[in-house]
Amino acid sequence: MIRLQNLNCTFHADTPNAKTVIRDLNLTVGAGEFVTIIGSNGAGKTTLFNLISGNLLPTFGKVFINGEDVTDHPEYKRATTMGRIFQDPLAGTASNMTLEDNMMITYKKGFKWPVISLNRKIRTYFKSQLVNLKMGLDSRMKENINTLSGGQRQALTLLMMVLSNPDIALLDEHTAALDPSNAAIVMDLTTRFISEHRLTTMMITHNMNHAIAYGSRLLMMDAGEIVIDVSGAEKAKLTVPKLLEMFSNVRRQAFENDEVLLSAG
Amino acid sequence: MLEGIFVEGLIYAIMALGVFFSFRILDFPDLTVDGSFPMGAVIMAISLTGGMHPLTGLLLAFCGGVLAGFVTAAIHNRLKVPHLLAGILTMTMLYSVNIRIMGNRANLPLLRVDTIITHVTAATQGLIPADWASLIFFVLVILAIKFALDVFFHTDMGLVFGALGNNEQMVKVQGVNPATLKLIGVGLSNGLVALSGAFAAQYQGFADVNLGQGIVVSGLASVMLGEFIIKSNRIGLLTLRVILGAILFKAIMYLGRYYGYYINMTPNDLKLIAGVLIIASLAVTNYRRIRGKAGTAA
Repeated sequence: MIRLQNLNCTFHADTPNAKTVIRDLNLTVGAGEFVTIIGSNGAGKTTLFNLISGNLLPTFGKVFINGEDVTDHPEYKRATTMGRIFQDPLAGTASNMTLEDNMMITYKKGFKWPVISLNRKIRTYFKSQLVNLKMGLDSRMKENINTLSGGQRQALTLLMMVLSNPDIALLDEHTAALDPSNAAIVMDLTTRFISEHRLTTMMITHNMNHAIAYGSRLLMMDAGEIVIDVSGAEKAKLTVPKLLEMFSNVRRQAFENDEVLLSAG
Repeated sequence: MLEGIFVEGLIYAIMALGVFFSFRILDFPDLTVDGSFPMGAVIMAISLTGGMHPLTGLLLAFCGGVLAGFVTAAIHNRLKVPHLLAGILTMTMLYSVNIRIMGNRANLPLLRVDTIITHVTAATQGLIPADWASLIFFVLVILAIKFALDVFFHTDMGLVFGALGNNEQMVKVQGVNPATLKLIGVGLSNGLVALSGAFAAQYQGFADVNLGQGIVVSGLASVMLGEFIIKSNRIGLLTLRVILGAILFKAIMYLGRYYGYYINMTPNDLKLIAGVLIIASLAVTNYRRIRGKAGTAA
């Protein structure tokens, strides 16, 4: 489904400020897998998503989606197979347009022709989908998006993403900006939609509990590399203290390596 | 004189709708307008003096404007030039192009040719006075354009235009190339502007390469004045308020031109007035926003 081959990304390459954000990264995510990704700030999680979605191009290395080499495809082309949700609830919707207009825009992927598709049949369909959110949004389809709360907007973004029928979902800390109760609602919807639509999912989170509780595979990133990759039974047995211990082991190793370098120099 | 205000207001409203499309919907401040407006006028003039039917001339003017918009959008998309600079480049180049179109002349009178206005007044002669006939004709023209735009913004493509100015990332995530959309949008916007120039040339009875000087400012002033008249985000009202804004703007300009001498104002001061109007609109909007924020926080 997603295959990353020897991926590297360096910002400000060939300048004294060059910073390698993704380093020789290899990863294969199979169809239907639900991968959670954790790691400290600057570990390269969001950059990884940017490389997969095409927002950034790798310095070298290749990106394959569904077996096809998409490394040179621009973001809007890759978007036909994937949905992406950002931390900012404002990022997924157009604020000064109505709810139904937003849903219409995201209903179909790809180029839009000047034809009117928003008819009674589609409105009824949208309404039935909004009822599933249990937020009372089904009676507010003519209202502007900016009258919605952050939680409602993020839940709607999630719904709009699944309605556009992608194969892959990239969730970038999509509950981090919400209050705990809204975050829980959105997380519930997330797992429901993922299993209903059999989405191949990668989810970045800062919440270790979430990383352990959700998904079938857990990745930990550090300094542009995947340092921990657990799945299956091993992931099922994972606990927060255990994860922390694994993390500090990785960190210590990195630190010792640095020391070796320094003394050698 | 009153019909004059309305007719000029309605003609300029077509241009203001174009400016509204690029500035407000696409969030693409497009200065090509200063070149595409006279371009529409000169294409119209050369078509009429060449013996073409006014409708053919209008169509050609519209197409010319679309091409001008394409050039701006292509410079912006392909060379990653900021939109303002891309517009200025096209606008500047169009000055020479417009003189070329008119056969190395800077202006062309249209007094002895049949324009769309003479066609209309001839057809209605004896029924209604000529001034009113052209007023009614332009009301119908602007209503047709407004209605077409309203329908367009309800189509799938029109909705994506709405999202583009609001949230470009969302458009990309939907698998639509924003560059293509900008090309179409800026093209259509300048098509409208050129159409407005073509009507203006026929109404004034001449085309001049300097017709467009500062026209984008008057378009923007019209859009902003309209925003004071009606508050809404329904597309039907958005386009309506642009038209009302354009008429109001023309009325203010008329007042300045005819009664300005009481306060020692000359027609040369009108551009200053247009600029001050925009600054005042911006200041009031800004003030309201700050107050609005304070209100919600309390």
